[in-house]
Amino acid sequence: MGLDTDVTVPETGTKTGEAGFVIATLEEAVNWGRSNSVWPLLFGLACCAIEQISVGMARFDLARFGSEVFRASPRQADLLIVSGRVSTKMAPVIRRVYDQMSDPKWVIAMGDCASCGGPFNNYAIVQGVDKIIPVDVYVPGCPPRPEALIYALMMLQRKIRAEGTLGTRE
Amino acid sequence: MTNQVIEKIQAKYPSSIKEHVEFRDETSITVSADDFHDLASFLRDDEDLRYDLLVDVFGTDRLKLGHKTRFAANYELYSIPHDRFLRVIVETNDPETNGSSNGTQSLEKSALPLLNQSELPSIPTVTDIWSTADWLERETYDLVGINFIGHKNLCRIMMPDNWVGHPLRKDFPLGGEPVYFNHDRENPRFAHLGKPLIVGPSYETKLPEEMDPEKNMVVNLGPHHPATHGVLRIALEIKGEKIIRALPEMGYLHSGFEKTGENNRYEKFIPYCDRMDYASPMCNNLAYVMAVEKMLDVEIPEHVQYVRVILSELQRISSHLIWLGTHSMDVGGTTHALPMYCFQQRELILDIFEMVCGARMTTSYISVGGLRWPLPGAFIDAVNAFLEEFSSELKDFEGMLTKHPIWIRRLTGVGHLPADVAIDLGITGPMLRGAGVPLDLRKIRPYSSYDQFDFDVPTATEADCYARYLVRVEELRQSMRIIEQGIEKIKAVPGPYRTPNRKVALPPRSEISTSMESLIHHFKLVTEGYRPPQGQVYFINENPKGWLGFGLISDGTAVPHRLRVRGPSFVNLQATDYMARGGFVSDMITIIGSIDIVLGEVDR
Repeated sequence: MGLDTDVTVPETGTKTGEAGFVIATLEEAVNWGRSNSVWPLLFGLACCAIEQISVGMARFDLARFGSEVFRASPRQADLLIVSGRVSTKMAPVIRRVYDQMSDPKWVIAMGDCASCGGPFNNYAIVQGVDKIIPVDVYVPGCPPRPEALIYALMMLQRKIRAEGTLGTRE
Repeated sequence: MTNQVIEKIQAKYPSSIKEHVEFRDETSITVSADDFHDLASFLRDDEDLRYDLLVDVFGTDRLKLGHKTRFAANYELYSIPHDRFLRVIVETNDPETNGSSNGTQSLEKSALPLLNQSELPSIPTVTDIWSTADWLERETYDLVGINFIGHKNLCRIMMPDNWVGHPLRKDFPLGGEPVYFNHDRENPRFAHLGKPLIVGPSYETKLPEEMDPEKNMVVNLGPHHPATHGVLRIALEIKGEKIIRALPEMGYLHSGFEKTGENNRYEKFIPYCDRMDYASPMCNNLAYVMAVEKMLDVEIPEHVQYVRVILSELQRISSHLIWLGTHSMDVGGTTHALPMYCFQQRELILDIFEMVCGARMTTSYISVGGLRWPLPGAFIDAVNAFLEEFSSELKDFEGMLTKHPIWIRRLTGVGHLPADVAIDLGITGPMLRGAGVPLDLRKIRPYSSYDQFDFDVPTATEADCYARYLVRVEELRQSMRIIEQGIEKIKAVPGPYRTPNRKVALPPRSEISTSMESLIHHFKLVTEGYRPPQGQVYFINENPKGWLGFGLISDGTAVPHRLRVRGPSFVNLQATDYMARGGFVSDMITIIGSIDIVLGEVDR
C-alpha cells in the first residue's frame, strides 16, 4: 500500500463511445469531490497551530490537496483540526464550534495534546479531545511535523472516499 | 547599594522589615500585610527608591517550608532610573472568620471547599499604586487563593468561573488521569474506559459589571476568531463603530505549567518551556536554564554563552517574522503574500534548529550547565547562508510595508501607549521601546555574554503601532548583527559545550567507561538530579515579546517548591483596554497584532 494508491481516484469510470464521458456511482463521484475539497476551519489552539499555519504556507503548500481554504466560520468548514491542548475552559467552546459545523464534518486531532493530553496530565487539560468530540484521524507528534499533518489529511481523504454519502453520519 | 535601600526603608518604617535576605545578589524583604500598602507607595514615590515597574506578583503556598504564615505574595519590583531589583514578600493576614485556611493545616483535611473571598487570607491591593497589579493579583487570587482587599474586579482569570478550589495550593492535587486511547469505544475490552462526551452543564461567562449591554452594544471577539492569534476572548463595548471599553478574557489555554513544574525535577521542566511561548522556545529555554543556573551558581563556559546568544537571536528573528507575517495579514496585507515570505524565511531558521537539535519548534536544546550536545559541523555555514539571504529579504519586506499607504494608515496613531502609562502597566519589550524607553535587559543587565556584543537598542517615540513596527524591524537587523559577531566568537572559542561541574552537567560518555567517579556522577544526576540550596531566585530574560521571568523557590530538594512564570504577553495584554478605547473596532485587530501575544504564554 504505497502512497500512489492512497491518492489516486479509484478506477470506477468506464469510457464509452466517442463523446467521452465517465460513468460512476453518484456516491463515488460525490466522495471524490468531497475528498479533494476539504475545507479546514481557521482554528488554532497552541503550538501545533503554528505548524498548521506552516502547512498552509509556501513550503508545504496544503493547496496541493485542495485544503488551503481555511474558513473562519464553522458554517463553511468541513474539517476541524484540533491543533493543541484542550483546556477545561476551552472544551465547551470547541464542542460548540463543532456543533456549528454543518454535516458532513471531520475532525483531525493534531498532536499529542489533542490526541491524549500529551505531557500535560494535570488539572487544567482535557485528556484528549476525543472526550468531547468524535475524532477521525489522530496525528502523533509534539508538535507533528507538517508532513505528518499532510499525511493525516491524505488518510482522511481515503476515509471520505470509502464513506457512504446518502446516509447520515452517526 | 542595596543596603542604602534597606536603610532608607528602615528610616521611614522602622519596624516594617521582618526579615532581610540576600541570596544570589537578590535582595528580598519580608513585610506584613498591614504595613505593605504604605510601604508600596513609599517604594514607588521616594526619589532615591523609585521602584516604578512592578515586574511580577505571585502567591506562594509555603505549606512545606515551615513558615509561620502559610500564604505569602511576592512582589518583584524594578526601578528604571536606579536599575535596581527588589523583592517584597508580603505575609498574608488571617481571614476574619477563622484561621483554618492559614497557618498549619493538615494535607488530608482540605476537601477543597469553595471559600468565600472573605474567608481567604488577605493582603491589601496595590492596584492603585501600580496598574500592573490588576491582572497579576487576579491571577494570584485565582490560582493560590489570596484575597486582595480593595481590588475592584477580583474574579477568576485563568480557570472557568465555576471552578472549585485554587490549583496552585499544595493541597490541591495535580489532577489529570491515566491516559487511555478511548477512541476504540466499540471494543468491549475498553468498555470500562468509556466516558460521557461532555461533562457538566455549560455556563455563561459573566460580563464585567461596568459593562452595560442595555445601553451600548457588546460584541464578543473570540475565543474562536481568526485575528486574535489564538484563543483569546475580548468583550468589546461599542457605540457605533467606536470602542468604549475592551476587556480581554483569557484562560482558554491555561495548561497548568506552574503546577506541572512544581511536580517535576528542575531539569524536566525544560521541555515544558518550549510549549509556553511556542514562537520562541529557544529564548524560553535560555530563561529557565539561566534561572536554575543562578540557583545552582554555576560557571558557564564562554562557548556555551555565545551559542546561546546566537540561538536566541535566531529565535528572535523567527518570532518577529511570525509577528510580521500575521500582523500584516490581519490589517489586510493578504494581497502581497507577506506571510508566505515571512514563513519561508522562518523555515530556514527552523532548518537550522532541526540540524542543531532534531526538532523544528520544541527544541529543548539549551540545558542546565551548557548545551544538550555540541553544535553540528555545518552550523556556521548554515547560519551564514541564512544571514546572507535574509538581509536581502528584509529589505524587500520593508519595501513592501514601511511606505505602504494602507499600512501607514492602519497603523499610525492607532494604539497609542505613552511611556508613563506603559511603565505603570508594566509593559516591557518592543512595546515599551516603541514608547521611547530604551529598556533592554541585554544592554542594562547583560546576561550570557551579551556585554561582549556590539548592538543598538532601537527605540521610537511615537508610541503607536507604527512605531512598534519600526522598532521590531530594526531589532531584526540588530539580531543579525549580533549573530554575525557570535559566529566569529564561536569560531575563536570552539568548546567545551558543557560546564566541567559534574554536579550539574553529565560527564562525557567516554569518561563513564573509564572513571568510577564519572559513573557515580552520571548515576546520581540521572536518578536524583541536582539539589539547589534553599532560597529564592528570579531571573528575567529579554524575550522577543518582553521580559520573561522565572521565579524559583527551592526547599533544598530536587523538585522546585514554587515555579513561577511571568509571561510577557500576559502583562502586555493588559494594555489592550487603554490602547483600544476611542478607537474603531478594526483598530482592535491592529492592536492585538501589535502587542504580539502568544496565548500559550498568556495563559500558561
